[in-house]
Amino acid sequence: MSKTMLEVKGLTTKYVTRFREDVYAVDHVSLKIEQGKSLGIAGESGCGKSTLALSLMGYYFPPLHYMSGDIIIDGKNISGMNPDDVRKNVLGTEIAYIPQAAMNALNPTRKIHKFIEDVILAHDPKANKKEIYEMAKGRFQELGLPLEALDKHAVELSGGMKQRVVIAISTILKPKVLIADEPSSALDVTSQKMVIKMLRDMMDKGFIQAMIFITHELPLLYNVTDDIMVMYAGQIVERGSAKQMVFDPVHPYSRGLMNSILVPEEGTRDAKLTAIPGTPPNLKRPPAGCRFAERCRYAKPACFYNQMPVLEFEDGRTYRCGMTVDELREIYRKEDAEAEQAPAASEGDGPVRLTKGV
Amino acid sequence: MKGYRKYFGKKLAWFLITLVVAVILNFVLPRLMPADPVSAITGKMAQGMTDASAVQEIYKRYEAEFGTNKPMIEQFFIFVKNLFRGDLGTSFSQYPRKVSNIISSAIGWTIALQLPAIIVGWLLGNLLGALAAYIRKGFDKVLLPISLFLSNVPAFGMAVTLLVLFAVNWKIAPIGGGYAFDMIPNFSWRFVKSVISHYQLPFWSIVLVSIGGQAVGMRSMSIYELNADYVKYARFLGIKDRKIVGYVFRNAMLPQVTGLALSIGTMIGGALVAEIIFSYPGLGSTMYSAVTAADYPLISATTLIITIMVLIVTFVLDIVYGFIDPRVKAAQFDA
Amino acid sequence: MKNTLRQVFHSSKFLVGFIIFVAILLTMFIYPLINPGNPLEMIGVGTFARPGTYVSLYDAAKTPTETLRLADADDKRLAKQLSDEDRVAMVEWFSATGVDIEGLDISDTDALLELWRANYDPAVKPKGMTQAKRNYYKRLDAAIKEVGAADTLIIADTGEGGALEKQGAITKTDYVNVGQVANVKILPLGTDNFGRDVLKELVSAAGTSIVIGLLAGLVATLIGLSLGLLSGYVGGICDDIIMFITNIFTVIPGFVLLILISYSIGQEQRGAAVVALVIGLTSWTWTCRSVRSQVISLRNRDHVNLSKLSGHSLFRIILTDILPYIASYVVMAFILQVSSGILAEAQLSLLGLGPKTTEVPTLGLMMNWAMLYSAHTNGSWWAYFPVILTITLISFSLNLMNTGLDQVFNPTLRD
Repeated sequence: MSKTMLEVKGLTTKYVTRFREDVYAVDHVSLKIEQGKSLGIAGESGCGKSTLALSLMGYYFPPLHYMSGDIIIDGKNISGMNPDDVRKNVLGTEIAYIPQAAMNALNPTRKIHKFIEDVILAHDPKANKKEIYEMAKGRFQELGLPLEALDKHAVELSGGMKQRVVIAISTILKPKVLIADEPSSALDVTSQKMVIKMLRDMMDKGFIQAMIFITHELPLLYNVTDDIMVMYAGQIVERGSAKQMVFDPVHPYSRGLMNSILVPEEGTRDAKLTAIPGTPPNLKRPPAGCRFAERCRYAKPACFYNQMPVLEFEDGRTYRCGMTVDELREIYRKEDAEAEQAPAASEGDGPVRLTKGV
Repeated sequence: MKGYRKYFGKKLAWFLITLVVAVILNFVLPRLMPADPVSAITGKMAQGMTDASAVQEIYKRYEAEFGTNKPMIEQFFIFVKNLFRGDLGTSFSQYPRKVSNIISSAIGWTIALQLPAIIVGWLLGNLLGALAAYIRKGFDKVLLPISLFLSNVPAFGMAVTLLVLFAVNWKIAPIGGGYAFDMIPNFSWRFVKSVISHYQLPFWSIVLVSIGGQAVGMRSMSIYELNADYVKYARFLGIKDRKIVGYVFRNAMLPQVTGLALSIGTMIGGALVAEIIFSYPGLGSTMYSAVTAADYPLISATTLIITIMVLIVTFVLDIVYGFIDPRVKAAQFDA
Repeated sequence: MKNTLRQVFHSSKFLVGFIIFVAILLTMFIYPLINPGNPLEMIGVGTFARPGTYVSLYDAAKTPTETLRLADADDKRLAKQLSDEDRVAMVEWFSATGVDIEGLDISDTDALLELWRANYDPAVKPKGMTQAKRNYYKRLDAAIKEVGAADTLIIADTGEGGALEKQGAITKTDYVNVGQVANVKILPLGTDNFGRDVLKELVSAAGTSIVIGLLAGLVATLIGLSLGLLSGYVGGICDDIIMFITNIFTVIPGFVLLILISYSIGQEQRGAAVVALVIGLTSWTWTCRSVRSQVISLRNRDHVNLSKLSGHSLFRIILTDILPYIASYVVMAFILQVSSGILAEAQLSLLGLGPKTTEVPTLGLMMNWAMLYSAHTNGSWWAYFPVILTITLISFSLNLMNTGLDQVFNPTLRD
């Protein structure tokens, strides 16, 4: 039994808009990651996955506000701590973050080593600058990054290099948990591979103990993470191992999501390609019942009124739905059988929504 | 360093090209005058003279002095040759004083007044703009409209207002001039004190006018930077807010240097007119008296000197900017 | 389009600027209807008449009177008659003769007079006071007493024999109704150095200045826009040449060119339109630069490429695929050009290089005249301050509109 690195219980956070409306972008989210494991979070744009990433840091500034719930990192609950304490003792050391737009994540007019110095001094004001430089050099060497990069400004680095430097800086203090928010979306294929390889190296070399990887590119998750979690409208709708989630999704939304992936295999051109019709609900006024009900083609009248329970089945997998696993699998089986009989029929009426970026 | 040298070379080339164009324009434009300047001037000088041959004499003398009897190209080379020797011709209104002599006695006053005033106004404006962006809320709500209003008061309007309030009504500052009129410039303590007291009003009127515009620009620049991704990232790495504000201020300030370079011409123009209001003995007042007296060589020389001053300031700012903003260096590598 | 307009008018900055500007424009159109006539007509013979209501003394004397007995009439008369110097002199006399003046306020006429009547004695000769000064006090005392006495002003005319003949008498209790006086002139902002009605002149000048600004802005925007479009869309050698010229003229200060050209044109040829044209000709570089960079970012968008593939002409592509996208920037640039054009005219006029002076007043010319006649040092604030305020308000309102538009079209600046 390995150690639990990150445990989140019932975390709820909200945005306050310009017009003082509350948007609960993260709604009673609970999750658990064990040492050495990685968790992927998938969902459409605006489903709250990026907000979840920010909320997990335990450091809030407007318009994001903490409401309730616990964040426990390696046995330490950080959700009750005061902000400056979080800043000094949690950010960067316990939990670290790789932002979505890493291209612009670095101050363009500060040299990389100076920025690393700022990061370390923010946690240890007495640190020796020479030692910091040596340490940064060592770390860059270990990660296979060119040492010249340290003496350059961010603007002088290429896109892929910037992203790798950002990863190196985020993990400079050996955080226990690393949250990567779409770290590769804006990169070309080669750089993308390099970044993924680097993140794996991080785990192997022990610079990080656990990782959360957020993306809308599902195939990537299958290759990178151990577990996958699907989010919809601020809530978790299903969680399971990567393999299970890709080949045997249970929740109707997960299934819709997986079905809308384009896989470059033979027959893809002819295979049915489903997009989920409709748009996510407005979180300023979330629906009373199941949040997916409006777009769910299996929804029963009760789904629109009742809050959905989180159900556990088969070796710890969970999902949030009003139907049982067996009911759902039965429906899917029939559907697939029908589809095989009429392969050319297209069921989707909208564009392929999920492959578009944020 | 290679990138920087390239940048420097490019800027220097531009400086020289612009200088040449400015000199040519300065030479050509007045000569496109529909009326012959020499006859206009002769008419003025010969007022009351009845002897036709005497008038003719005067006309010939000025024609020779200007060289207007020679072809345009030849005139231009004489003009450039004289320019290199620092000879800008002879003034009409203060005959036989040399124009270079008048200019050199005025230029010091203008530089000593405008350079510090514009720099102080720029710094104060940027500081206020950054504060407005950082504090927002009430401070911003009050400060922004005031800055906007201030930046729209013309420089001469500010000058007149300050003059009337402080010098005419409250009598706590002298009415005008560079020093008390009963003094002869020297290095006595009394003279320096007089210069300083005469310096205040023109100085602050230029400062006040430049503060507004800079503050408005800096505010929007800072708001833009505060929303930048690097601010969020730095926060999530646990860097203190104070340090981050430092980043933002620096990054917002740098483009303001270019902004200053682009607007320095307009600012100096406004400040020159403000000089007239205070009868400050600088280039603005010189130009004014030259225009009033139709002193053509003096006008031509003042405009040339002002152009060259602006060109030099712009060049220096460009060079400094290339040094302090790494983004310029990066752009040079790309190019 | 409709939605954009609504958004624009929702911006409080734009709205405030718009209201101020429209108010100024309305004044420009409505005031001449109320108060018609040539704004340059010299109605005053003296210079700098104070703002206020002017009543014809001649007509007033001929207007039927009513008798009003007002208790404080004498005091008010005295208060107006006693100049500040007189009051200071009275206090000097008190202190020279040792009268207790603790707590005396010289603007309090009643208290001052009471003290004076109680203590003044022409026979007293304070030490060190000259005879002339003592005579002055005697005259002052006589004047004070006279106000209190009942006396009449005789109106006389030269009769047939050349001798004065009494026509009527005015007593201190005679009043006329202002409404019945044939000639009453209200000068809300007094007159200027030439004796012109400042308000009328100001309204006309503001109109001219705005026209100059609009014309200058139009010229600058048209040149900047066409060069920017050409440079940005066509690119290549065309771009190189235009940018070369633009770069040079960005650095050479526009107002220096303005001075040189204006001077070269000469006083005679320099009408308001010519000045506007020259201002426009020297200030287009900024618009050209921003249009160019906008066009370059648009040049390779899908819809433009589509038009190119469809074989649309250059003119049509620019008109339908480029212009609508940069319209907001062009409008903003135009607004700024108008405001700087008005300012440029004012500065040029202050240098004595403004429009020909006999045709129309402009804000800059009014400022120039006020300064030439030292209105600022002789306390005639009405001759220059309204001018400064008008220039500031026009340019403030234009800039507010610009800022408002900027916030609508550049969402990162929105707060």
